[in-house]
Amino acid sequence: MNQIIELPGRAERAATDASVLLDCRNLSRTFIVGGSLFSKAKELRAVDRVNVSVRRGEVLAIVGESGSGKTTLGRMMLGILPPTSGEMLLDGKPVSGIDRKTLARRIQPIFQDPYSSLNPRKTVAQIIGLPLAVHGIEAGAARDRRVEEIMERVGLSRRLIHSYPNQLSGGQRQRVAIARALVVQPEIVVCDEPTSALDVSVQAQILNLLVDLRNEFNLTYIFISHDLGVVEYIADQLAVMYMGQVVEAGPRHEVLEQRRHPYTQALLGSVLTPDPSLGLPDLQIGRGFPDIMHPPSGCHFHPRCPSAMPVCSAVEPPAFRDSAGLVHCHLFSGEGSSATRPIAQ
Amino acid sequence: MTITQVRDTSVQPNGGSGHGAPLLDVRGLTVDIAVPAGTLHAVSDVSFAVNPGETFCIVGESGCGKTITSLAVMRLLPKTARIAAQRILFEGRDLLGLSDKEILGLRGNRLGMIFQDPMTSLNPVFTIGNQLEEVYLRHRNSGRREARERAEFLLEKVGIQSPAMRLGQYPHQLSGGLRQRMMIAMTLMCEPALLIADEPTTALDVTVQAQILQLLKNLQREFRTALILITHDLGIVARMADRVAIMYAGRVVETGTSAEIFAAPQHPYTRGLLACIPVPGSQGKRLGSIPGIVPSLIGENEGCMFRNRCPYAGESCRHGEIALRELSPGRGYRCILEPGHAISEATREPATTASQATVQ
Ligand SMILES: Nc1ncnc2c1ncn2[C@@H]1O[C@H](COP(=O)(O)OP(=O)(O)OP(=O)(O)O)[C@@H](O)[C@H]1O
Ligand SMILES: Nc1ncnc2c1ncn2[C@@H]1O[C@H](COP(=O)(O)OP(=O)(O)OP(=O)(O)O)[C@@H](O)[C@H]1O
Ligand code: SF4
Ligand SMILES: [Mg+2]
Ligand SMILES: [Mg+2]
Repeated sequence: MNQIIELPGRAERAATDASVLLDCRNLSRTFIVGGSLFSKAKELRAVDRVNVSVRRGEVLAIVGESGSGKTTLGRMMLGILPPTSGEMLLDGKPVSGIDRKTLARRIQPIFQDPYSSLNPRKTVAQIIGLPLAVHGIEAGAARDRRVEEIMERVGLSRRLIHSYPNQLSGGQRQRVAIARALVVQPEIVVCDEPTSALDVSVQAQILNLLVDLRNEFNLTYIFISHDLGVVEYIADQLAVMYMGQVVEAGPRHEVLEQRRHPYTQALLGSVLTPDPSLGLPDLQIGRGFPDIMHPPSGCHFHPRCPSAMPVCSAVEPPAFRDSAGLVHCHLFSGEGSSATRPIAQ
Repeated sequence: MTITQVRDTSVQPNGGSGHGAPLLDVRGLTVDIAVPAGTLHAVSDVSFAVNPGETFCIVGESGCGKTITSLAVMRLLPKTARIAAQRILFEGRDLLGLSDKEILGLRGNRLGMIFQDPMTSLNPVFTIGNQLEEVYLRHRNSGRREARERAEFLLEKVGIQSPAMRLGQYPHQLSGGLRQRMMIAMTLMCEPALLIADEPTTALDVTVQAQILQLLKNLQREFRTALILITHDLGIVARMADRVAIMYAGRVVETGTSAEIFAAPQHPYTRGLLACIPVPGSQGKRLGSIPGIVPSLIGENEGCMFRNRCPYAGESCRHGEIALRELSPGRGYRCILEPGHAISEATREPATTASQATVQ
């Protein structure tokens, strides 16, 4: 499904291409699970033919159901996990031709969990300095200075330089993780739920910091999150994933406003605004949970979709693309008759 | 963990809706932890009560003592901690007076806890199935078959399909959200009367989160399970809580029903917290954040712990213990300001930017 992207015109594609920094094309990753004495090994399609791209200096946010493949996609972008198929282009060149170390210097991660992603036996200075040592950047006093500079930049007091992670608060640990990612001056930072372990006031500080740093260093972020408030705040482009596939993507405000895909509607309808007069949202998507081991035929979302039509269980919805972005749904494929009209909510 | 029972009759924020004994009644809970630099006052004089079927939310900044409070109830504090309280009554029994064997019989059984970090509570070398069954076998007189059936049943409840395959997996093979749901299923193996859920949905997307929260609500309706929900997501608080305690630096600084807290927050910290939430239309603007950082909890402390960050702080905030102002039973706050001192949030200095403020 995701490979047939009908673009309105070739020129448009060529024009955007120049500024595209990271381009994932039909990227897939399958895990083999099970396979014990009692059961046969089966395939788990964690990421299925994903097409996303991000321009230099932009923030691409990836949202989606738990288990929909966001982290797996992020790990492939980082070069930690090889894709099963598809390719990734960095500045137009295939990533497969770039060696791991060079790639690591250009693309750095910030993980969700500031508690377990820092080595407990290393001091703050050692943790932040390690990438410099790995990449052989500076040495001795110059390296120390660089560590101090970045610490100051992310708002970490020099006092903490010899502290261990367990002596830091959650917010401080996340700043250490950010400093470690930025010290080698990467072009792209893949942030996997960088603030979900933090409370709102610390989260606000970290988000403000990430935005400042992006402006200062012209960074490009891949921002994986399930907090749509955060995404709305930080993203330029948005991709929505469901069961390993991108079901909708486009400029943030278009996706959030138009909510063309029924899953996007369900996702946005589940946001819990702090309004005590409201209870839990009544999800119009049934009680069912999707089973990645047995993906439904046709559109993977059809068993839960309030707008499903007969064609939805039979045929994979093709890509529909216009200026508001890309959507994979039969409501927009012509079969569903409403073609380009955004559906009523 | 050293336990001291104190006899103390100071007035405490009341909790509970009145009729009948609460399921859990915590009075004057104080937890001190010995650290190299001295004594860390993690929890100071905290009181609350939770009734059967009720949802009680504990909210507050990282490090304010939410987890330590729940670990005290579970009697799972680290060895370096000293706990003192007038009482921690659960189903009429004082938890502080129970033997280790008695508490083991309650934990995972009548008293369930969903821990904040699924990775530290799931054992990496055993399959998920093994770990879920183990809990059941420990407390129930039953065979492995029954335990496996219960595990599969609960996995479906928390939205994990292909249960047999998932039970055969190891924790590292699961996504963050799947791990968190495994933890929840594990806690529900024995139908606890009190469930303490420490940030149970941080790793979940909003649709699954809504489904899990609905599941918890259904449990409460069906079994009158009481829920202590620890979260920093004020959206969850608003939609789930019957009553709320806002904690700051080891103390409860405000209590009330969730309607009261959101409509008329009294403590300056509560107001700051409400201003930090990214809301639609916030793009491009800076988020509100509470300037400054939490003071050190090590050593003696006096006065209001929030004063170094509070826009209203004055001389009287520096000394003594700030008394709890009780507005009505169960509704109160610890601040010298008069009730309804509202100064519109808009007029307040927005946020120190993170990049300017150097964290100490
Ligand atoms: N090493 C692995 N072995 C087997 N299965 C895996 C492995 N890593 C991931 N998976 C599976 O791939 C699927 C996608 O996982 P992934 O971690 O990418 O999800 P996610 O979108 O990041 O979810 P969450 O929001 O819960 O973190 C899940 O079903 C997961 O169990
Ligand atoms: N094992 C320990 N040894 C020393 N200090 C500890 C220990 N565990 C917690 N603390 C300290 O006790 C205080 C309260 O910690 P607690 O874990 O209860 O915070 P919390 O409110 O749950 O925060 P978070 O939202 O980050 O989980 C913190 O200052 C913390 O640093
Ligand atoms: S393709 Fe059909 S089932 Fe899938 S989201 Fe669109 S309407 Fe719903
Ligand atoms: Mg993930
Ligand atoms: Mg905690």
